[in-house]
This record gives sequence, C-alpha cells and structure tokens, in this order.
Amino acid sequence: MKQALVDDTEDVSLDFGNEEELAFRKAKIRHPLATFFHLFFRVSAIVTYMCCDWFSRSFVGCFVTVLLLLSLDFWSVKNVTGRLMVGLRWWNQIDEDGKSHWVFEARKVSPNAIVATEAEARIFWLGLIICPVIWIVFFFSTLFSLKLKWLALVIAGISLQAANLYGYILCKMGGESDLSKVTASFLSQTVFQTVCPGDFQKPGLEEIHQH
Amino acid sequence: MAEAEESPGDPGTASPRPLMRDLKAVGKKFMHVLYPRRSNTLLRDWDLWGPLILCVTLALMLQRGSADSEKDGGPQFAEVFVVVWFGAVTITVNSKLLGGNISFFQSLCVLGYCILPLTVAMLICRLVLLAEPGPINFMVRLFVVTVMFAWSVVASTAFLADSQPPNRKALAIYPVFLFYFVISWMILTFTP
Repeated sequence: MKQALVDDTEDVSLDFGNEEELAFRKAKIRHPLATFFHLFFRVSAIVTYMCCDWFSRSFVGCFVTVLLLLSLDFWSVKNVTGRLMVGLRWWNQIDEDGKSHWVFEARKVSPNAIVATEAEARIFWLGLIICPVIWIVFFFSTLFSLKLKWLALVIAGISLQAANLYGYILCKMGGESDLSKVTASFLSQTVFQTVCPGDFQKPGLEEIHQH
Repeated sequence: MAEAEESPGDPGTASPRPLMRDLKAVGKKFMHVLYPRRSNTLLRDWDLWGPLILCVTLALMLQRGSADSEKDGGPQFAEVFVVVWFGAVTITVNSKLLGGNISFFQSLCVLGYCILPLTVAMLICRLVLLAEPGPINFMVRLFVVTVMFAWSVVASTAFLADSQPPNRKALAIYPVFLFYFVISWMILTFTP
C-alpha cells in the first residue's frame, strides 16, 4: 500500500498542487473582473450618451460623464484587459536620441503558459470592434441632425476607441504587415473551426492529459 | 496612445500596468511645468491625461451659469475643448512642417501640460470675481493673467525650442504665443 502510494506520489502531488490551476484552466472565463470591466465602460459610455436627455438636461454633466467613461475605458483596455484577456500589449517608446517608435507585442504561447480562452478572446474582439462602429454611427447621426455641440464628444469617442482597436489589430498582426494574408488566414481558421469543432481542444487540457 | 511606456522586459509576463504609476507620472509632469527646468521628463514619458484633465477643468470654469436650460453653457464648454485641442494640433502640425524633430504626441503633451498656469489663473480670477466689480478688480485679474500667460509661454518654449531647427525657432514659437494668448483672452474676458 505504502509502495503504491510512493509510486503514485508524483501524480498525486501534481494533482493536489494543480487543483486550483486545473479549475482555472477549465474555466471558460479566467478573468471575470477584467471581462466585465472591458465591456462595462464602453457600453456605459454609449448608453449614457444615448440616454442623457432623459436623465438630466445638463449638457456639461453628460459630456463630462461620457468623457470620463471613455477615458476609463481607454486606460483599462489598453493597460489591463488586453494583457489579461488576449495577451497583447502596445505602447510608444522614446529613445535616448528622441526618436519615437511604437511597439506592438503578442505573448508567445509556451507550453507552460496559461493561454487565453476562446470565450474571452471572442468577447474582447467583439467589444473592441462593435463600439467604435456605434460611435461612427453616432457621428453621422449628430452631423445630419445638426446637433453640432455633441460633435466634439463623438469625435473624442471615436478617437479613443479606434486608437485601441488599431493598436490591438497591429499587435495581433505581429510581424505580418500584409493585411490580405492575415485576413485570409483568419477566415480559413474560422471556417475550419466551424466545420470540425472537435479537432480544436483547449491547449491547457491537452497538456494535463500528456502529464 | 495616451501614454508612453518603458517595457518591463519579457512579454510573457504581460501583467497589467499599475494605475498609481500613471497617476504619479501625471503629478510629476505638473511639477515640471510649475518649475520649468531643462529636463526631458515631459518629452520622454509623454501622456495626454494631464492635458485632458486641465482642458476639462478649464472648460468647466469657463462656463457661464444660466437659469435657462437651453443655454446651459453648452456651446462655451465645447468651444474651449475645440480651441484647446484644435489649437494644439495646429501648432504641432506647423512645427512638424517647419522641420522640427519632435513627435506628434510629445508636442501635444507639452502644449497641454503648459496650460496649467493659465488654469491656475482662471481659478484665481473666479475667486477675484466674487468680490465687487470695478477697475481694481479688472487690474488684479489682468496682472494675474499676464503673469500666468508669460509663465505658460516660457515653460512651453523651454521644452519645445530645442527640437526646432535654429533658424526657424521664432516661426515655430509664435503660434504657441498666439495659442496661449487666445486662452488668456478667454479667461480675462470671462464674466459669470
């Protein structure tokens, strides 16, 4: 009995130590707080912009609130949720000689790294793409209804959201500067996943089986 | 985009950026504007949060309060925003066209942060306007605004002048002068 226990010690200790990690890897959404805040600020900004006429008659209050939400959203998406949910980050660096260059990085997937889940990645990209589109719709509706005092806010919204979208797309493309190649590979990957969903297991689970 | 960053090494870690670091960086830059020295902080670690905060503060203070909800200071608020950001962008484009080697966002950062003295002037003016109106009131405000205007121009010149080619310095600096002059004018002519 003791012998069996000793023989199995490796597996047993591994399971005990990694129980939390196992649950973490199996979870569909590993960073619920980050996911929530990724969507919360963006959606609140849009909702506040649309509904401000009902809550308060103050243009200034609405302007400042929406701007605040947009700023919080920009900071959190750029610095927190991008890194946690999809492992991408981007920034601007100024050299010693004063030259500025933009750096875009993607986390390399090593066997021991905890990779992003599909659900998180999907939520991240959907949130990142849909909101700037909505702000562009607002831009045209503001322009054509001639409510020009809101234009400043809408333009600020578009700039902030589009900046994050652009930054993360460049991160995702990585070394690939050819957009057509990237689009083609993305589309083919999506088609394969739809046709043969069973072939694509979560890498995390695969590793544990191999141990 | 809103801030520059020094990478903490291995992309594999990719941990979230701490908020306190950003807040401290903004505070440090405010200090650098108030006591302008030959330092590179505003240029190297640029960020646009400071200019945004200053712009919103200035716009809020430049509002004319009114009982009529139709004219609730909306246009003036958006006006200040447009003047500040459009003005800063124009100056930056101008300096780049003149051959300056400063990046777009660095220039916006410096111009935005150097609005701090004028924001302080606005605050003082609002306090002074609580007293009884009259020529003395106006002289005090004129003096304060003039001093802060000079401070803003000197601070921004200290940071921006080095990046311009030597024979074009005046051409690059005079729009800065105009920019802060317009803002000072808005502050001086403000009546609640």
